[in-house]
Amino acid sequence: MFITFALITLLGALGMLLQKNVIVAGLCLVATFFGVAGLFLLLANPVAAALQIIVYTGAIMVLVLFVIMMLNSHEEEKAQASHPIQRWVSVALVAALAMGAVKLVLASPGLKALAASGDAVPQAMTLQKVGLTLFADHLLGFEVAGLLLLTAMVGAVALTKRNL
Amino acid sequence: MTGMDAILQGGLQGYLVVALLLFALGLATVLLRRTLLLQFMGVELMLNAANVALLAFARFRGGDAQAMVFYLFIIAVAACEAAVGLALVIGLFRHRDSTDSDRASSLKQ
Repeated sequence: MFITFALITLLGALGMLLQKNVIVAGLCLVATFFGVAGLFLLLANPVAAALQIIVYTGAIMVLVLFVIMMLNSHEEEKAQASHPIQRWVSVALVAALAMGAVKLVLASPGLKALAASGDAVPQAMTLQKVGLTLFADHLLGFEVAGLLLLTAMVGAVALTKRNL
Repeated sequence: MTGMDAILQGGLQGYLVVALLLFALGLATVLLRRTLLLQFMGVELMLNAANVALLAFARFRGGDAQAMVFYLFIIAVAACEAAVGLALVIGLFRHRDSTDSDRASSLKQ
């Protein structure tokens, strides 16, 4: 099960990186988000899986695809100047970063101990637990998040409207 | 579970490796693609990679609900970023008739 969802996630992300058509790349990203939701289910966290699908695929990606279609920029534009050296250097650096980090994760004794001690399947996350923690311990953060969303909404309207 | 087993059957290391590779792919998208909308999707992918690592640690620490609260905050920030970022892309498109980040290299028109 895990390897299936992991492959969906990583192949979707790879498809997004390599795809020429921007809309198809967006749909690859939707597949990635579904794969991540599956991973959250396997982590005994159905609340996060549902939120992932509702917010990321249902709201953010719909907004992105809407903007792509509105701007009618389906294909990547021709490069003004090609930067082959910069591109290869960035590929090499990203690959080195990924390989180094994966090697660190696999070699770490602390992670091995944590994986062994937490191997028993915990109780599934419920909305009740999340709500209790959210409103008992993080009420201020919750209100600030609401304020931030309002600010972003007003800002987005102010940025896109031609003359207020 | 150790080594390859942990990766294939979904131990903590498996989730972390998936999160790291997702982050690397998102970073590569931001660095290699020129369309602003695709770079934006790369940023979303990196945020998601962080979420996978966070919730994996939470599950292996016995199903901690604090992590879910932080996940909610990350999602709220990602939604704000989506709204403002897309508004900026639309504004740039109006001024320059292009969504190519290379063409937005000067402050003047």
